[in-house]
Amino acid sequence: MHLPRFKLLQPRSLNEAVEFIDRYGASARLGAGGTDLFVRMKYRVASPEYVVSLKQIPAKAPSIDENGALSVEALTTLRDVVRSDVVANRAPVLAEAAHTVASAQIRTMGTLGGNLCLETRCLYYNQSHTFQYVEPCFKRDGDRCYFVPKGKRCWAVFMGDTAPALVALDALVEVESSAGRRTMPIERLYTHDSLCPVSLSPAEIISTVVIPASGRRTGEAFVKSSPRGGLDFAIVSAAAVLEAGDDGTCSRAAVVLGSIAAMPVRASQAEALLQGKVLTRDLIQEAARTASAEIRPVMHHGHSASYLRRCVEVITEDALSLAFERLVIR
Amino acid sequence: MSELEYVGRRVPRKDGPEKVTGGAIFSVDVRLQGMLVGKILRSPHPHARILNIDTSRALQVPGVKAIVTAADTPGIPHGFVETPRYPADQPTLAVDRVRYVGEEVAAVAATDHYAAEEALDLIRVDYEPLPSVFDPLKAMEVDAPEIHPNHPKVKEPYRNIAGKTETAWGDVERGFAESDYVRQDRFESHLRTHGYLEPQATVASFEANGKLNVWTSSQGPFIKRAKLARTLGLPLSSVRVQKAYVGGAFGGKIDLFSHEFCAGLLSMKTSRPVKIVATRQEVFCAYRHGQPLIVEVKTGVKKDGTLVAQEYRVINNPGAYRGSGVVVIFLAWGFAMLPYRIPNLKYEGYAVYTNNPVRAPQRGHGAPQMRFAAESQLDMIAEELGLDPVEVRLKNARQSGELLPNGDNVHNCGLSDCIKEAAKSTGFSEKCGQRRKAASSERYRRGIGMGVSSYFGGSLIYPNSSSVIVKMNDDGSVTLLTGALDIGQGAETVLSQIVAEELKLPLEEIQVIAADTETTPVDIGAWISGGAYVSGNAARVAAEEVRRKLLEIAEEELEASKEDLVVDDKSIYVTGSPDHHRTYRQLVEASIRKHRGDSIIGEGHWRTMRDEPMHPSLATTKGRWSENYAFDAQVAEVEVDTHTGMIRLLRAVTAHDCGFPINPLLVEGQIDGQVSMALGHAFMEQVLMKEGRTLNPNWLDYHMPNIHTLAPSEHIDVITESYEVGRPYRTKEVGEGYVSAILAAIANAIYDAVGVRLFSTPFTPEKVLKGLGALARSDENDTDV
Amino acid sequence: MNKNIVALTVNGEEYDLALEPQVTLLEALRDHLGLTGTKEGCGTGECGSCTVLMDDKPILSCLTLAADCRGSQIVTIEGLAQGGKLTAVQEAFLEKGAVQCGFCTPGMVLSVTALLDENPQPSEEDLKKALEGNLCRCTGYNKIVEAVHQAVETISSPEGEGRQA
Repeated sequence: MHLPRFKLLQPRSLNEAVEFIDRYGASARLGAGGTDLFVRMKYRVASPEYVVSLKQIPAKAPSIDENGALSVEALTTLRDVVRSDVVANRAPVLAEAAHTVASAQIRTMGTLGGNLCLETRCLYYNQSHTFQYVEPCFKRDGDRCYFVPKGKRCWAVFMGDTAPALVALDALVEVESSAGRRTMPIERLYTHDSLCPVSLSPAEIISTVVIPASGRRTGEAFVKSSPRGGLDFAIVSAAAVLEAGDDGTCSRAAVVLGSIAAMPVRASQAEALLQGKVLTRDLIQEAARTASAEIRPVMHHGHSASYLRRCVEVITEDALSLAFERLVIR
Repeated sequence: MSELEYVGRRVPRKDGPEKVTGGAIFSVDVRLQGMLVGKILRSPHPHARILNIDTSRALQVPGVKAIVTAADTPGIPHGFVETPRYPADQPTLAVDRVRYVGEEVAAVAATDHYAAEEALDLIRVDYEPLPSVFDPLKAMEVDAPEIHPNHPKVKEPYRNIAGKTETAWGDVERGFAESDYVRQDRFESHLRTHGYLEPQATVASFEANGKLNVWTSSQGPFIKRAKLARTLGLPLSSVRVQKAYVGGAFGGKIDLFSHEFCAGLLSMKTSRPVKIVATRQEVFCAYRHGQPLIVEVKTGVKKDGTLVAQEYRVINNPGAYRGSGVVVIFLAWGFAMLPYRIPNLKYEGYAVYTNNPVRAPQRGHGAPQMRFAAESQLDMIAEELGLDPVEVRLKNARQSGELLPNGDNVHNCGLSDCIKEAAKSTGFSEKCGQRRKAASSERYRRGIGMGVSSYFGGSLIYPNSSSVIVKMNDDGSVTLLTGALDIGQGAETVLSQIVAEELKLPLEEIQVIAADTETTPVDIGAWISGGAYVSGNAARVAAEEVRRKLLEIAEEELEASKEDLVVDDKSIYVTGSPDHHRTYRQLVEASIRKHRGDSIIGEGHWRTMRDEPMHPSLATTKGRWSENYAFDAQVAEVEVDTHTGMIRLLRAVTAHDCGFPINPLLVEGQIDGQVSMALGHAFMEQVLMKEGRTLNPNWLDYHMPNIHTLAPSEHIDVITESYEVGRPYRTKEVGEGYVSAILAAIANAIYDAVGVRLFSTPFTPEKVLKGLGALARSDENDTDV
Repeated sequence: MNKNIVALTVNGEEYDLALEPQVTLLEALRDHLGLTGTKEGCGTGECGSCTVLMDDKPILSCLTLAADCRGSQIVTIEGLAQGGKLTAVQEAFLEKGAVQCGFCTPGMVLSVTALLDENPQPSEEDLKKALEGNLCRCTGYNKIVEAVHQAVETISSPEGEGRQA
């Protein structure tokens, strides 16, 4: 399969990249690892006039900043995130999530920023439409949905793995543009709109992901349910971060589900259930049931809603149990 | 019998070094001067009339050299099956109708991809959509949209019948009446696809001397040559299909593909080579999928488990043309009746047209689907009657020398030993049934199950026979000329081993020239499970002739008679006097000097069932089918996660009667690959289609096994044949027979683990959870509309 | 058609190719350098057949622009065997029967090579993570794993000392 023709820009620094996307706006697309953009371009879903390849821009290794926060540049490859001692120490759930992405090759090429900005996915969208589905769907700037034939909106799902982990860590993203830098909680990176899941304008780029210091001991886990146990996108994924005080009560609980909506979803009722309580196996199971009841998973890739809800319960319990075990050890 | 040096050894494959260094040439790797890029225009409609095709604007695109539609072709159809009863029904390019999404309508040759794609976009086809039907049962209804008229021999009030197979023996009604227990079940095997790593690719080059040179990803060059020549209106001798390695096929690359024809036609039109490569998405959508089957089976047994009567009704959905549908409904009968004695049988199978892409054989071609049904039901019968599932199988298993109802003799049959060995090595009887009995709230539950199957080793279908030439070189080494194509199964290696054994010559001294319709003799191809038996015996006969000639010269040179001569290590010597010898080099030299220049060439030919004119009747099953049959028993141990419904295959044990393995390393590789394919069939592979369109045309959404799903695969040889130098041998097949029993074993193991009986593949987590009562009722209103 | 000169270092040799920007590394290798050992199984990053090494790390050449490879050392399957001598991994694949149709083999061998170069004693989990992106339909992966174990032994044995994967 061949890429369509385009003009290639190869900035050597983030500033240069910002200049390019400021100049070309919506006619440019950022290519970090290329593992999402180039596939979509081969499917002719994206055909930008300019591709801004970020591969010439070196990424600093993950580090702890002066506030004690973990700082990971967006252009850090997933492979480097997985191998970083600093990340393993300070945000193990991020390393764990990054390690489940796709394949070794894709982790070598793909970046954290790219994984956060993955396009939403749908069986009908992620294929060439040369003879199947000739009329474009909503996500292809058309007027229909093939998944829900009489539907009025797009149902594509966000399936990135690092995002749920970072939401659970209350991470922040630093965004660069010609207007300077702005920082926002990672949840604001997402629009909850399947058509355009990422809130950045075409002239913006994520520079850094910052995970604030928690100061307390945590237990973290990322569990991903997938058909083969590797290479796949998730059926459902769950990131759990538990923080406990010295008395063993849960001072903070984060439970974030991935792959079941246009953005990662916090199971806030489940979180509230755990907050301030002594953690036990039964409580965790109850939290899992709560998560399953409060989340309305979007059916995706052939899975039924009831099966997805069941997966939410099981995966949430698995993630919380694992996080709990690790909390105790630490 | 003297010790074998080459046959029966774990010899590394001859084409291994090329493949492991990237030097092996596949069709897509062929590059010729002036080569053009070809692309195919495909129908977006599942069923439509073609009112008009306008290529004028497309022809204006710079770089476009030719565009063809049906009007440019000789209009000769082709088909997987081409017999008087089932004549060819597939056009090379759609004429006045398209019958499936993806059907080929036009083809373009241009200097580069972008020009070709631009041209495709500019070809204007006016369609008039017609009503379409996708489900075979709906397609059979009398008011269903007509895709093709009913087969003229089928008189029932159905529509869209592509073909029918019907046969019976004994009296099933009386059999059921005499049975102590009768049960009826329905099983459904779903749509899957081959998943070969190499996308289809063809290079066609029409030379100035009128010869069409072709490199194409296939399963046998001779059938491709025949079909290409016929559809292009060229004499057979004008088409040469050359050797290229093939990156896996599994049944999906046998018959003629439109793009192969188009590459040839475009090359003839432009006088330039044309290369057409299918994208992976095209392969997933518009090429061949496997054959789904609906199997209804009613079985009557005595209370000791002896089979008395069996009645089958099978529905196949071959897609919009016959494809191999009319073959699979015949084979389904075969795979039903092979492993066990069934005194009374009635079988009825229908292939029903639907507006889906054409389906092809997929490894096993009906056996996985049929064994899944029969073996699952047999376990249910055993449970109902309180019988041991191993004993029930042993009671009914075929034995050596048994005559099949169609007249074939099974010859040596190791099935009983296979069953016993598989059971013994897995501790089957101790484990089976135990886990279910123990009340358990454990999350992970294990189970064990068994399946039995049988497969034929070679039958009669064009080109029907294999020939091999073995020629000696001056230095005493040998060149082996064979039409056999290596698609991964190791054909070149196996044939080399046979020649090496007959001539006592190291494998390094055997050069193989293969799979070229011009320079190598005819071969049956790698799709009828006869490589080792048919092509192998042809190689043996050729080597035997060389050996005879060498001995004749040696007799003269050494002044001894044949009985006193020993052939060993590239030379012939007198018994007891190894110094009194001649090397092959010396013998060849002597032959040329003294025997009218005879440089010592041997030819060998082999055909299975030499007295039979042709293959059995697809419609009635009458006639001889094969002269060798392989048997196997497989055991699966699974672990079910009762929380998620996911299942893991923990262990697969294959006890197989393949005759004898010519190369045990290759045999093991075949078994491992089939276990993997079966677990994909069982758990995770499914072609999702809606209204004739493939929803998951890529490997992310079609979940073919990767290394995470690897299951330990153990092999137990049950040897029932042997190899002796200078004598014909009967070995069986190993390439297709081991995807079936293991699938059934998995189904039975799941039941053993969690008490959930599944009647349709794949055994998805959803089905398991529903069976466990662990899934809430599906809420269709979850998605806002 | 705007072509630029792209400098590539492949298997230790330097090349200057005039390429349009959208040409992938896979296309540059196969169509412009005639190195057809690297295969396209899908073109969309799912099968691993196009795997090559970039600075010793495994990447998918079908999703990498040739123009983005300047200054990197690319190693393809053709670049492994030195002077006709196969590497430990290649030999192990042959001896253990880990090659059938051969289409996935170049990518598979390179992924294994990258793994063992970095981690000569990988765990079963390391092995699975390293190969999860390389699909094979013929072998079921069983003999591929056996080949990896053999290569590990060879490399760590006294005779294999200093030997590259």
